[in-house]
Amino acid sequence: MRKRLITVLTFNDGVLFRTKQFEPDYRYTHNFVDAWSVDEIVVLDVTRPNQGKKQNFFKVVREFAGTCFVPLAAGGGIRTMEDVKQFLELGADKVVLNTGAIQRPEFIGEVARAYGSQCVVLSMDARNTGSEMYEICSDLGAVPTGMTPEEWARQAEAEGAGEIMVASIDRDGSLQGYDLDLCRRVAEAVNLPVLISGGAGNWRHFVEGFQVGGASAVCTSNIYHFTETSIRSAKKALADADIPVRI
Amino acid sequence: MISADPHILNCTDKLILPGVGAFGDGMRNLVKRGLVEALNQIVLEDGKPILGICLGAQLMCMESEEFGSHEGLGWVAARIVKLSPTDRRLRVPHVGWNDLVRRQSSILFDGLTDDSLFYYVHSYAIDVLDPEICVGECNYGQNFCAAFERDNIYAVQFHPEKSQREGLTMLGNFLNKA
Repeated sequence: MRKRLITVLTFNDGVLFRTKQFEPDYRYTHNFVDAWSVDEIVVLDVTRPNQGKKQNFFKVVREFAGTCFVPLAAGGGIRTMEDVKQFLELGADKVVLNTGAIQRPEFIGEVARAYGSQCVVLSMDARNTGSEMYEICSDLGAVPTGMTPEEWARQAEAEGAGEIMVASIDRDGSLQGYDLDLCRRVAEAVNLPVLISGGAGNWRHFVEGFQVGGASAVCTSNIYHFTETSIRSAKKALADADIPVRI
Repeated sequence: MISADPHILNCTDKLILPGVGAFGDGMRNLVKRGLVEALNQIVLEDGKPILGICLGAQLMCMESEEFGSHEGLGWVAARIVKLSPTDRRLRVPHVGWNDLVRRQSSILFDGLTDDSLFYYVHSYAIDVLDPEICVGECNYGQNFCAAFERDNIYAVQFHPEKSQREGLTMLGNFLNKA
């Protein structure tokens, strides 16, 4: 089994943005081209409520589904089975649940029973609350829930999630590396594949995500990681560190 | 062309049986839509080529232990068992890019190299009772059959449609050569 390098793209009203601590930070002006070395793609709608049109994101999902022949996960504001059906019909293979699952944990099970666990990625955003404590926050990192990453991950696993994606709110956009402690806690709490996100700045960070964090996949939203040469270079660095990857 | 109409299926040259989700639901849906008899006729009697993908491949087997005991279409001597790797680092579901180790030749492999990787995503795997039908294997804690073939019936556990160039080549092989 190869470790995965997952491309996460965040969209604000249909426009590709990078984020910093979950705020849209910089708009990318060039088009993203499907790179053949990418393992998997996640597209997330991070538009704030009432600040854009859902259709703009649907168009993004449809375009990616039509051009990429690797697994595509889509998320952002999924609250109902109709939302799930919408994304799957647009061509997504997996849906990413976050706040919707926090509001109703049984929603995870409903989607898993209808479409299979492999269709459900439970995404959780964690904030470091000091002295090695983390708290899960909903609503694009704005609302504290009182849950630790470990307990929420265990609950999601019990409900039927297929994979867990963990994002560090503090590290997002920082280029300082993943929060490896956060990753490790979740990886040790569940038997599901864990995808780590937030903070990747260089290839060393990817290596650490696997070797220290125990991740099954590392995610990056940094557009400069997306050129064909860049992804190949990243994978070569991983292979050099004896991490099995798909070249 | 996507169809669940037995009449339309009857008129096609080749079939693909895809599938995601649970075995029990998959069989229930086939039964509900009156497809079991139609598929038996088209595949077993008329001999039209069919490619099963992921759950579709599993449904072609005799039975599955996913969420209880369920009977499949029974076209091949194989059953479905849960992936239970003892190595804690191997997580379930088995998700991601992994090998396809060839055991026998197959038109599915034309144009592909031995180190081609494919995208797998499953918690249950195919355990063949007749080793003759298994053309490719994968290892994830245990060896399981990743591709089997018997006469006009082809099946793969992974998703060729999600496996970029190699997957598209394999699909092309089925469409052009089966």
